[in-house]
Amino acid sequence: MVKVNEKIEEELQAIFSGEVPWITIVWDDPVNLMTYVTYVLMELFGFSKEKATEIMMKIHTEGKAVVSTGSREEMERDVARVHEFGLWATLQRGDQQ
Amino acid sequence: MAELQKGFYPHGDNTFLANFSESEREVLINLSEQVIELLAERIDHHNDDPLAAMVGITSHDTPPEDEVLLRLLPNAYADQVDASEFRRYTESTLRQKKQAHAMAMRTNLKTATDGIVEIDRNGANDWLGAINDVRLALGVRLNVEENSPEELQLLKPDDPMHGVYAVYSWLGWLQESLLEAVMNGRQ
Repeated sequence: MVKVNEKIEEELQAIFSGEVPWITIVWDDPVNLMTYVTYVLMELFGFSKEKATEIMMKIHTEGKAVVSTGSREEMERDVARVHEFGLWATLQRGDQQ
Repeated sequence: MAELQKGFYPHGDNTFLANFSESEREVLINLSEQVIELLAERIDHHNDDPLAAMVGITSHDTPPEDEVLLRLLPNAYADQVDASEFRRYTESTLRQKKQAHAMAMRTNLKTATDGIVEIDRNGANDWLGAINDVRLALGVRLNVEENSPEELQLLKPDDPMHGVYAVYSWLGWLQESLLEAVMNGRQ
């Protein structure tokens, strides 16, 4: 018998119910200062400075990075908050990356 | 200009100060007013439902035609149908939030004594957002997507974009000083 913890249970349930998590993506742009992008990620998502810097560098070098995962409604709220501070974000289903 | 060389700096636990010259104050007030005006609601000819208007639902769902405005109010979805739906329910609120940032900055500048602006953490977020919106707008006009900083620095003094780039760079420096002040106080 395999041990199934809560997290795996949730994922299994998601597979059968067709509920795929959504993701918020922040895109690179040439205007926003690197320090500013780091600060906004810390402020809006509660990331540590190290984590926020890591995500900012990913945006900078790869053109985009996932900043949050959750329900579609949650991701819509995240995108709205990111837009308020002038970073460009979009949301999409997590399985369509 | 000499006074401003440090930009924003922390003053106590939750206060940040900056000392602006009269001309700098005027430039910033002017820019904040332009952002507030730019973000004013589109006239909604098709919305007959006052209740919908009151809760911020608009009938317009197309992206702004103006390139600067589109940069400030971008699409939230790659899919156009989803993007339109999202815009209908959220664009009005986004405009108001951005206007509030610019208005806070304008008020701080208008009420500054001897050019000294004093803000707290919330005020700092207003300023950071407002400065960023101005930079985004100027960045569209300067076409920073195509033009490298090196190219922009080489603009001739009689080129109108030369002055715009000087303001854009100065705002970047001012924003950086505030970020440094806020982030150092955060840890």
